[in-house]
Amino acid sequence: MSVVALSELLGATVRDVSGTVRGRVREIAIAPQDHPTRIAFLIVKTPSGERVLPPEAITSAGASVRAANDAAQWDRFAPSDGLLLLKRDLLDQQIIDIHGRKVVRVNDVELESTPVNSHLLINVVAVDVGARGAVRRLSKGLVPSFTLRALLARIPPRVIPWEFVDLLETDPARRVKLKIAYKGLSQLHPADIADIVEDLAPAERESVFETLDEDVAAEALEEIDPDIQVSIVESLDRDRAADIVEEMDPDAAADLLGDMTEKQSDEILQEMEPEERQEVTQLLEFGERTAAGRMTTEFIAVADTATVDDAIEALKTFEGSREALATIYLTGPAQKLVGAVPLVKIAVSSPTARLSELSEPYIACAPDTPQNEVAALFDKYNLITLAVVDEHGRMSGIITADDVITMLRHKD
Amino acid sequence: MRMLKSWRVRMALFLAVVGPGFITASVDNDAGGIATYSVAGAQFGYTLLWTMIPITVALVIIQEMSSRMGAVTGKGLSDLIREEFGLRATFLLMIALFVTNFFNVVSEFAGVASSFELFGVSKYIVVPLAAFIVWAIVVHGTYSTVEKVFLSASLFYVAYIVSGVLAHPDWKAAALSTLTRPESIGFRNYGYLSMIIGLAGTTIAPWMQFYLQASIVEKGVTARQYAASRLDVIVGCLFAAIVAWFIVVACAATLHSIGKFNIETGADAAQALRPLAGEYAYLLFAVGLFNASLFAASILPISTAYAVCEGLGLESGLDKRFEEAPAFYWLYTALIVFGAGVVLIPRFPLFRVMVLSQVANGVLLPFVLIFVLLLINDRELMGDHVNSRAFNVIAWVTVVVMIVLTVLMVLTQR
Repeated sequence: MSVVALSELLGATVRDVSGTVRGRVREIAIAPQDHPTRIAFLIVKTPSGERVLPPEAITSAGASVRAANDAAQWDRFAPSDGLLLLKRDLLDQQIIDIHGRKVVRVNDVELESTPVNSHLLINVVAVDVGARGAVRRLSKGLVPSFTLRALLARIPPRVIPWEFVDLLETDPARRVKLKIAYKGLSQLHPADIADIVEDLAPAERESVFETLDEDVAAEALEEIDPDIQVSIVESLDRDRAADIVEEMDPDAAADLLGDMTEKQSDEILQEMEPEERQEVTQLLEFGERTAAGRMTTEFIAVADTATVDDAIEALKTFEGSREALATIYLTGPAQKLVGAVPLVKIAVSSPTARLSELSEPYIACAPDTPQNEVAALFDKYNLITLAVVDEHGRMSGIITADDVITMLRHKD
Repeated sequence: MRMLKSWRVRMALFLAVVGPGFITASVDNDAGGIATYSVAGAQFGYTLLWTMIPITVALVIIQEMSSRMGAVTGKGLSDLIREEFGLRATFLLMIALFVTNFFNVVSEFAGVASSFELFGVSKYIVVPLAAFIVWAIVVHGTYSTVEKVFLSASLFYVAYIVSGVLAHPDWKAAALSTLTRPESIGFRNYGYLSMIIGLAGTTIAPWMQFYLQASIVEKGVTARQYAASRLDVIVGCLFAAIVAWFIVVACAATLHSIGKFNIETGADAAQALRPLAGEYAYLLFAVGLFNASLFAASILPISTAYAVCEGLGLESGLDKRFEEAPAFYWLYTALIVFGAGVVLIPRFPLFRVMVLSQVANGVLLPFVLIFVLLLINDRELMGDHVNSRAFNVIAWVTVVVMIVLTVLMVLTQR
């Protein structure tokens, strides 16, 4: 078993079984439908055109390649969409490093060749994104190979194992053929996905958002810079955009649609489910810099006659964001807000206790309260959530502390 | 309310796009540019004004390609060169760019030094202060605040227009020689020809392509908003050309008309203007030179750091912290510290360095422009936004003429 770098193999001379030099390695191909890491064949440039040399016919691969058969037996190379060509598609391109949670550029690719019976199995094991790969490529052909080896051994490696690599491919048809999915990326925290997406080019952002699960996409989208949010949503087709926007918190969705042109936001709203559409439309009516513009309409409210048990039931069926769970609001006759119970009290009280007995004085504000007054209320009363009530004392929504932090960080 | 909102969105869209093209073109009138325009006016009066129109056209064509490439691909120029032409080509180009831009930074700080020497302030005070200001603005600001600072700095170039007016030029003669080439002086005149080459050579510098494309990307301009960016490029180039025109006119109306031909730098020009056009013209000219030098000194190091890091795959960006992108900030800081430091060496031949920076620009430019043309015609990259055939003919001719003129400039430098 030995490790060989892609840059060493590229340009290596290829000898057939008789020992005659027949050409040079031009490309290395993987067929992801057959095997995700195994090299399908080398493409050899010979005087009679490009030929295909599969690992089954290779006895050694390194600074030079030795084939087990005659050059006449090598098939002609036929280009196909389903092939991942390591030099063209990977070398010098950007990839997502799942482990390091960022976008990096490939300096070299590490391959591992294992002798099996009389031939080789070659697999991609890692991509080199550090100085070692760069120095190897820059000095190739200029420095004698033994000096280079000694030099490279002194450079600490910076490699990403192949399973932590997500490739970027913007053409949807090719993505399917190459079986490229953003598997690793979708496992990351939405905030990390957002950071990575911000580093990509627009076409790559689009391709990520076409492929991610709707709820992952929605959570990641909420964390992205507003300008980039808009350009991503504009680039997606309307159905897909609506599906993602539906999954977003209504307040985040309203902020996003508010930043778009009226025509674009209307088109997306039309594709949305009626219930979500109504929530978002209501929020859109308010100015963005008021309490109503910052609030979400997904909160927990139960009748003031309810017990702790009822509250727990309501918590179980609640579909909104986790931040909104911090407080359970109590409503009296005509849906008027009468009290608030912190989640902690629910956890430490007996299931039969009445919520009205646990209730604390609540803090609320009017929908048109300016956002800096909202922040002042959070500061003064050390709030986690703040109720927004209309002129009849009915709850319209709540503002959560994380919204206030975002608001304060983007104050301009 | 809705009406108001959509109007606001449109305004925001417009403001969001005006910027990079305007800034890049303005910075083009840096210390070296001002020197060349002043000398052109002093030596040849109005007779070189006709070059302004073709030079502006060339500037627009080349800048437009860079910004289009940024908007369509969403990637910087060095990113694209790396992806399409490999590590080795990129590495060599980045070394060349770093060295070239270092000379440019030195010449900008030299401009800062000489503009303040006019007021009798020592360079040992001004240059370190300017270096610190430049470093702090960029490192401690976000992209949007930095851009606002730069955009306001662009407006200072109006100083040159005012000092041009204060010089009381012969407007009719100036206008006429802008539209038609005066016959009185021929291309056989060696000085005249080399001045034309100098004018063209200072106008398009390699760093501009990298800087403009990177700013377009950083701003998030997409293919769909591209029309506004093109307008930004055109308006910016026109503004820069008008400023250059006024510099030539100011020097022509004063220095040339009394036969004072032998000036070498922008500071010389300001000094020479004093007794002729009055205290205000002199003051404005000197302040303009300071602003131009400081402005270019703020942009060159950052654009270099971006380009080199992108090309070599190192973390970059003003939105990153120092620990996240060390190479980026070190490159940036080193360019400023050494660029300013070199100027402080006693008896340092500043004028030679300015000339050297023009030569370095000229050597690098052909490579950059050829990369730009190859990339912008790559259909896989640009889709339908590749150059049209007609545009390609104009662009190739422009590029070839620019390359020939710049190579001639390098060869004719003393």
